[in-house]
Order: sequence, then C-alpha cells, then structure tokens
Amino acid sequence: MTNVADPDIRDTGRIAHPRNHLPGESSMWFFVIGDLLIFGVYFIGYVYYRGLDPDLFLQSQARLNLDIGAINTVILLTSSLFVALGTSAARNGKVPEAIRLFGLAFAFGVAFPVMKAFEYIPEVTAGLTPGTNLFFMYYYVMTGLHLCHVTLGLVILGFVIRSLRITVKPRMSFVESAATYWHMVDLLWILLFALLYLMR
Amino acid sequence: MTSYIRNPLTLVWALLTIVTVVSWLTARGGGSAHIVNVTVTLVVLLIAAVKTQLVIWHFMEVRFAPRWLKLTTGGWLVGLVALLLGFYFAGL
Repeated sequence: MTNVADPDIRDTGRIAHPRNHLPGESSMWFFVIGDLLIFGVYFIGYVYYRGLDPDLFLQSQARLNLDIGAINTVILLTSSLFVALGTSAARNGKVPEAIRLFGLAFAFGVAFPVMKAFEYIPEVTAGLTPGTNLFFMYYYVMTGLHLCHVTLGLVILGFVIRSLRITVKPRMSFVESAATYWHMVDLLWILLFALLYLMR
Repeated sequence: MTSYIRNPLTLVWALLTIVTVVSWLTARGGGSAHIVNVTVTLVVLLIAAVKTQLVIWHFMEVRFAPRWLKLTTGGWLVGLVALLLGFYFAGL
C-alpha cells in the first residue's frame, strides 16, 4: 500500500514509492554489503599504515593527479544521477526515456576508465608502480579493484539497456539491482578519492 | 528537461558536485602537500562521509528501504569513519 499524502514516500517520479521496499534483489544487497565491508578493511589498513609512515604517504600522494581524481569523481556522480533518473523513468513506464538515461549513464561510465588511463600511463612511465612503496601498492590495488567494479558495472548497465530495449514492461527488480551496484561503485570512489588524493 | 532540473535527484547531484569542488579546493589550498594537515583531513573525510550517505539515501533509495538496511548501511558508514579518524589521530 502506498500513501501519497506522506511526504516520506514521495518519489522522484510520478509513482509514489512504497515504504519498506528493498530496491533490487536481496542477493545484490548481500553482495553490496560484503563488498562495502571488504573495501572498508582496505580503507582502514591504508590509514593504519599511513600513520606508521606519514611522510612517505604524503610525498607519494603529492605525485598523484588530483585534478583527474576530482574530474573522475564528478563523472561517476553524474553517471549515478542518470542511473537514478533512468530507474525512476523505468518505474514510471517511460521506457524510451529510461533507455536514453541509462545510455547517458553508460557514456559517463566509460569516461571513467578513459580518464584513469590518462592518469595511470604517466605514473607508470614515471616509474611509479605497485612495487615503488606501500602507498603505491595500496593505490594500485584499491583503484585497480575499483576499476574492475567499474568494468563489471558497465557490462551490467549494458544488460539493462538491452533488457529495456526488448521489453515493454521493464523488470524493475533487475533495473534496481543494477542501479544499486552502480551507485556502490560511485560511493566507493567517493571514499577512495578522499583517502588517496585529499586527506593530509 | 525542466522536470530533470527540478527533480530532487538532480538537486542531490548538484549538492554532491558542489561539495566535491569544495573538497578539491580545500586539498589544493591546504598549504604544502608534504605536511600533515588535520583541518584538511577532517574537512575532506567528513565531506566524503556526507556524500556517501547522500548516495546511499537518495540514489540507492535506502530511505525507502526496510529498517535493517538503513541500520546496516548507516552502521557501516559510522563505524568506518570512526575507525578511519581513530587510526588517523593515533598515527599523528
């Protein structure tokens, strides 16, 4: 049952969002929570080892490209917005609009690894590799794992677009599961950006 | 087009983008990149925590989700930030 008079359940689209609705499949949420815990352990390990040798970490961090890191943050945030808008459109039965929005999300998503290549290549050619020191080991492992998540997310977004194209009535649990995964990729980058590029 | 601009999700995105730029400028303007700076760290980590919660709450639609999911995601974020800050200050 939905109650449109309740301000807490106004959705971003026209259909009121039910309370206690798990967005997507529960299996996707167990995967997401597991992933958040695993990345959490990496984040805590990184800050712990940073505290043991702050000078090394700060000097290494200063060699990263802060501007590309920030641009990539905005790219993923924008991609996430299009996924959220696309999910809302699909929920409201606006399939062509949802396809367009997921297409835009995909395009912004593809820009992320392209920008990452512009960042990795000069670093590697300058001799900064996972073997350089502990900071760069964490940097390459965490951003590399995240990049694998981005790649998988792009494949999933591709399947969403395909499923929206061949159906009149979208299977919302699939669209929501894909959206949940993509937003997780976004939030992990938000934390990676703060830890690797910004904190002092 | 207008409906997208007025959409609450777009407002959340605008807020996320603005605080990203604030973090970016804070890190750029925080003096030498080679020196520990507690103020910069506190600002950027707290902004990252707020951004993460905004993504979980609005984009991942956890605000409509069952209580167990709100508590799990909230507990994860609070625990993570507390441990990050704890280890950061312990290492100073």
